[in-house]
Amino acid sequence: MSAASKSPSPASTSPSPATATLQNAKLIVLAGSGGVGKTTSSAALALQAALSGRRVLVLTIDPAQRLLQALGLQGEDPTRKPAANVPHEVLPKLKHLVPGAHPDGSLHAMMLDAGQGAIAMVERLLPDPVLRERVLTNRIYKAFLPTLQASPDYMALELLFELSQDPRFDLVVLDTPPMHNALDFLKAGHTLASFINDRVLKWFAKVPQPGAKKSTFGSLFGTGSSMAMSVLGRLFGADALPDIAEFFSSFNEVLPKLKDRALATDAMLRAPTTRFLVVTAPGETSLREARHLFLQLQQHGIQPAGFIVNRMLQVPVELSETPDHDALTARLIQGGLDPHKAAAMAVRLSLAAERLLHLGRSDLEHLRELQRMVGPRGFCAPVPQREGDVHSLGQLRGLGQTILDGAATGVVY
Amino acid sequence: MLPTMTPQPPPLPFDRVPAAALLREVLAKELLLITGKGGVGKSTTAQVLARLASRQGKKVLLIELESVSRAGPLFGAPSVGPEPREVAPKLWLAALDTMDSLRYFAVQQLKIEALVNLALRNRAVEGFFQAVPAVKPMLFLYHVWRILDDHGPRGDRRWDLIICDLPTSGFVQGMYQIPLTLQQTFRAGPVHGYGKAMGDLLLDRQRTGLLLVTLPEEMPVVETLELRNALEQQHHVQPVAVLVNGVFPAALDAGELAELATAVQRPTPDAEAVEDALAVERMLGAEPVADLRDLGAHLWAAELLLSRRLRAQGLLPRLAQAVQGRVLELPFLFRRDLPLAAIDQLATLLDGGAP
Repeated sequence: MSAASKSPSPASTSPSPATATLQNAKLIVLAGSGGVGKTTSSAALALQAALSGRRVLVLTIDPAQRLLQALGLQGEDPTRKPAANVPHEVLPKLKHLVPGAHPDGSLHAMMLDAGQGAIAMVERLLPDPVLRERVLTNRIYKAFLPTLQASPDYMALELLFELSQDPRFDLVVLDTPPMHNALDFLKAGHTLASFINDRVLKWFAKVPQPGAKKSTFGSLFGTGSSMAMSVLGRLFGADALPDIAEFFSSFNEVLPKLKDRALATDAMLRAPTTRFLVVTAPGETSLREARHLFLQLQQHGIQPAGFIVNRMLQVPVELSETPDHDALTARLIQGGLDPHKAAAMAVRLSLAAERLLHLGRSDLEHLRELQRMVGPRGFCAPVPQREGDVHSLGQLRGLGQTILDGAATGVVY
Repeated sequence: MLPTMTPQPPPLPFDRVPAAALLREVLAKELLLITGKGGVGKSTTAQVLARLASRQGKKVLLIELESVSRAGPLFGAPSVGPEPREVAPKLWLAALDTMDSLRYFAVQQLKIEALVNLALRNRAVEGFFQAVPAVKPMLFLYHVWRILDDHGPRGDRRWDLIICDLPTSGFVQGMYQIPLTLQQTFRAGPVHGYGKAMGDLLLDRQRTGLLLVTLPEEMPVVETLELRNALEQQHHVQPVAVLVNGVFPAALDAGELAELATAVQRPTPDAEAVEDALAVERMLGAEPVADLRDLGAHLWAAELLLSRRLRAQGLLPRLAQAVQGRVLELPFLFRRDLPLAAIDQLATLLDGGAP
């Protein structure tokens, strides 16, 4: 039997830090570098919170098809993806299938599409239809719009703010875009807000409205503070300048609103009801990036609630010692194998076992290091490597339970 | 040691381009763009190929896109910036972030350093370039294009192979879109010209190769195929190769495993009987012949390796078919961390040699 059979002591009265996070937070942000299992972990935690009675929305970016299937959002046809940027009901449909679910709980899931989000954002920022039309047909804007998908940070923040005001939900679980420097996301609002200061607003106010006389345009280049515009002209060629000017002139209308939203989003990310979890996997690179992210969050005045460590190799406790090659050979001969064959097989078997054992040990060392970093008030949830993807709600529930159990005991199941 | 664990692979049901020829073709490019889903080993692959090519005598520049270099620590170079830095024989590193590339672009266009400083000190300009997402791949592409074609005033800034460790697929799709976007947005003028030149470079199959990295697991393989299809449909680009990272060697093949299972079960490994037998042996002062409890674990290890191996073998034909057999493999080394010695070991294995 593995050490797994230890379960959190039923006598303990206060919930574990992980359970408390799911009970109390209004926003849970899962951050981490790419490929560590953020999206699946987000969905699993959101499901756990919903089962315990919370009204949850999980906002994911580019979920795998299997996960969509697990959430009941996609059938077999992968070309028919559910609509993006709208909440889809998950749990109400399935409540009767999930025994023990709290009756008040609900789960919605939403997929982020940055391109569509950008159009919606322009509509919100530019209520004047004439001005909006001008921006949406601007060459520069049109050129940049399709590539917004490459950077979903702003779009996620935009949506997040609106969702946090939505009375249907009392908890939003956010799966952040993959990034090495995951703080880009956190800083997106802050950077924007500090960038939009009075001086910048004044500068954009000087950009002439399209159709303005050439003299106005010319005078723009004469002023010292408009050096940048002049530089843009030299960089991109004169023929593009009217479009560039129009693009910037729409900023005049937009920037104050963007700033308000950026400040509100920044406040939301720093609220005490917002908890950050760092998702990682064993390995020096992942560990270094998780550590970096953890410290960066702390420097920004945010104490991360804990770590989720995915892909831990789960080694049976029987394999606790380096295998004895001679004993293995003897045992195989005893089992009826030809001595030569037994010896050859024993070599390969003990090599395999030794390597996996070594890997399991190094994973545990990494786990301990993260446990030390997070301290007694945070949690560190080890999650064993699964064979294959999560493709059912039952598996997702099992995964969520594994995260919570792992967070409570620190034991690899 | 690895080959001793790998029995002869079964004949493959598809035509794989021989690894040596494919590898030669990959390393013959001037610009190698490496991408894939997060966590599949893009950086490892970039490092392995950089090391291999430099060992073969090529002058190699490995470019990373993040301000935090992954390759830097590997070569004991903690600070890597936009200026290429020689970290090992024939191997240079550079890490470019958007502002580095913007500065480079501005210096090339405006020629006057003071003007550049003035322009870039303006927060509106910096904010604009940081905020508009397409700018990042655009400036990066420009920067790499210039590094490739501009050999500096003394002509000494010239590399045989530039390897780019790129971010995830979204960035790459954005990057392939950029030359067209620039040419459509700026119908004439300098930027139109850059767009054309960068497009020509990206689509030049002699000079430029796209290498997709994946893992032998279902989701990464499916996503790799999706990316391949999207790039082919939208930009008529085909990867020079797909590299499957972390392929498990099998300790035993399925037949051997079955034989083993039968063998160890012959004397029923009843836990109590085992304990009794061991207790008797200990009482007699003899070293236990074999601790039967170990065998479950050994079987577990063998089964785990075999199941990973079989899963990989189930996925690879589909992948190979989609890329005309242009598949390379890197074995799993049973370690999470890959110091330079391990990178070198992988380079040797990829090159078909014994470690």
